[in-house]
Amino acid sequence: MKLRVLTAVVATLAVTLVGCSGKATDGKANEESEGGIKTGPGVSSSTISLGVLTDMTGVYASLGKSVTQAQQLWVEQTNDEGGICDRKIELTVRDHGYDPQKAIAAYTELEPEVLGFTQFIGSPFVAAVEQRIDGQDKGLVLPQAWSANLLGSPYIRVIGATYDVETINLIDYLLAEKRIGKGDKIGHVYFEGDYGENALVGSKHAAKEAGLTVVEQKIKPTDNDMTAQVAALKQAGVKAVIVSAGPRQAASLVGVAAATGFDVPVVGNNSAFAPQLLKTQAGPALLKDYYVASSTLPIGDPGDGPAKLAKEYAAQYPKDVLDNGVVAGYTAASVFGEALSKACDDKDLTREGIDKALLTIKEYGTEFGVSHDFSDPKAPSTRESVIMKPDAKAAGGLKVVRPAEVAAAAESFTAGS
Amino acid sequence: MSDTAEAAPAAPAGPAPGPTRAQGVTERLRRPRTYAVLAGSLLLLALPFYLDRFWLQAGLFAMAAAIGAIGLNMLTGATGQLSMGHAFFLAVGAYGYCVLAGESSTENGHTLTGLGLPTWLAAVLAVLLAGAAGGLFSPIAGRLRGAYLGIATLALIFIGQHVLFNAGSLTGGYNGRAVPPLSLFGFTFDDTELVVAAVPFGSSEKLWYAGLAALLLSALFARGVLRGRPGRAMNAIRDHRIAAGVMGVPVARYRAGVFVLSSMYAGLAGVLLALVFQRTVPEYFGMILSLEYLAMIVIGGLGSVAGAVIGAAFVSLLPQVFTHYSDSLPLVSAPGTGGLAPGEASRYLYGAAVVAVVLFLPGGLARLGLARTKKPKAPKKPGLPKQPAAPMQPAAPKNPGEKS
Repeated sequence: MKLRVLTAVVATLAVTLVGCSGKATDGKANEESEGGIKTGPGVSSSTISLGVLTDMTGVYASLGKSVTQAQQLWVEQTNDEGGICDRKIELTVRDHGYDPQKAIAAYTELEPEVLGFTQFIGSPFVAAVEQRIDGQDKGLVLPQAWSANLLGSPYIRVIGATYDVETINLIDYLLAEKRIGKGDKIGHVYFEGDYGENALVGSKHAAKEAGLTVVEQKIKPTDNDMTAQVAALKQAGVKAVIVSAGPRQAASLVGVAAATGFDVPVVGNNSAFAPQLLKTQAGPALLKDYYVASSTLPIGDPGDGPAKLAKEYAAQYPKDVLDNGVVAGYTAASVFGEALSKACDDKDLTREGIDKALLTIKEYGTEFGVSHDFSDPKAPSTRESVIMKPDAKAAGGLKVVRPAEVAAAAESFTAGS
Repeated sequence: MSDTAEAAPAAPAGPAPGPTRAQGVTERLRRPRTYAVLAGSLLLLALPFYLDRFWLQAGLFAMAAAIGAIGLNMLTGATGQLSMGHAFFLAVGAYGYCVLAGESSTENGHTLTGLGLPTWLAAVLAVLLAGAAGGLFSPIAGRLRGAYLGIATLALIFIGQHVLFNAGSLTGGYNGRAVPPLSLFGFTFDDTELVVAAVPFGSSEKLWYAGLAALLLSALFARGVLRGRPGRAMNAIRDHRIAAGVMGVPVARYRAGVFVLSSMYAGLAGVLLALVFQRTVPEYFGMILSLEYLAMIVIGGLGSVAGAVIGAAFVSLLPQVFTHYSDSLPLVSAPGTGGLAPGEASRYLYGAAVVAVVLFLPGGLARLGLARTKKPKAPKKPGLPKQPAAPMQPAAPKNPGEKS
């Protein structure tokens, strides 16, 4: 009896193995030449598929929505102009809600079908698939995160200054404005995790260069009340405070400091502001003495690039808030588009072709105030930061107080040390 | 590979001592269920040859979840002890494996400690480590009952999260640390391509078989425990603690023991999850994960192995299915267009499933298909005199049986 079952099992298994499986056929045969143009995964004769891994239901929901809609806007505009390489662009969006399991599943799902990713929110998840991207997949991924830990891979390219460089530029601004000077103490309130820790590397470097002392205050993303931190920094007698946290923490810090008469300038990284804050109780305090750094001009800037984008975005999504995610998302998508056009000129729309084309892009993105250079994967695409100040009248709630500039300390700084 | 298929139908002959072995086998061969099991296992074995990496990975997540859920079901379903700390033990397993098997290195500014043990040994030790962590907590687990234990174990999650984020040299902090691929007898479960019958085998295809084997062993072991003397003692504790004590069941010792066993199951699930993820991220091992495991066993069926497996498959595959087919499903909108996102939709569906199960299917989904086959078998079992469920704990589930 048992023997018969065993025979049946073996026989069925053999049949299954021999039987044709869809997976068996697709080996490495997908690099066909079409009209002289080499194509690979995600590219057909009429479309180029790009992936978007975003967060629309989790902690970065508002950022994810702006970035994704801006990229959808870019795709629409590009397709209206006839697409790239006579091909229409297609975006496939997956929302992972900042859940590692869903993020990795979504990457696995989209990876075989797309040429690359114009957006990937969540640096831990990018780090989780980094091995696969570098080892086998080799598709271009543009993360919406600015940690120096992401530098170094030829396929994962950060657009903009990393948090450490940005923080150095912020401190440089305070020094240049004579708000702080040699021998002063500065406070740094930062998130645990790579955002805050990376920013801390920058502030320590800048402090060493300028003879300052950093007073550290580490917080959790769930800490929303900064009363204790303000009290501690006041006690320590700091002359300025850096916030490497979320918008909520920045608002609380500035608001509490103003309420307790702790009158120092506060500066924050690009993630430490949201236009919605200006309508809260902390609004007046933020308008007074708070500054934010970023690698793009704010959406409310009167310059050509931002003004045009703001108009088009508002026409497309009239109900949604204009914030800096719009500029960031649009810039990322257009960098990808630029790489696609260059790859098209080289008649190579494979993943290798895109990666090669990106390395030739220099001085790109000046319409948003900062010029990017993608020729070195080990360095951030720019070391410049725009310093901005909240402004209740401007769209997106920010106006420029110092155009893109790179601090001397940031120039000499080697990222990722 | 073939022993997996063979073991499934043969195993039930073990614990049932009634008729002689040969008779039992012939009887079993006549029943359609044997063939269903056989066909099912064959299907599972053949899947890596046909499915995409995406579905295989989803299946592997479900397998890992099933192993963890079996453990939790022994604790919560069979013994009536609520645990919210399951995610903590998963983390102990996952990170334990990384630390034991990984090499010391510097990554993302953290100097990582690793012992560099052979990976199979690290996997076994990680499971034992999770057991030891459960053992440390067992003086508490032995003394508290039901919901009180749930509150106490809640602390484990918060402690765990704090440690995972801050013990940078062990865990790699916020960005986690890379998981070394499992290697067994010189065969490595990594992404180096291995062509089997013209199908390229990557890590997901290889791990699929490791996952199946782990799940089968865990399920069989759990079934043995639940059907035997310990299982009856556990059910007695759940149904009436004092009566169980009077009958001579060492209540505290059993509670502590089950807690350790369940944390070892969680540890094994953690190791498998880490291997599938290829990187452990602290964010994952939070309270939501613990709640998902509780949802699995409630939806699947409390107290049974099959319930845990079905519930785990339901809860972990549902969001994937929703996301994958979000274009063609009614009501669910594609991400970015507003409306109900697939992730949200699947959460609503769990909620509805939990309510529906509690109202209409007190035994969970596992009872759905088995209800009919179970009835004629019930009087044949002399070893299990059905005690009327004590009214002391109205929330305690009815005995859904230790049926697989």
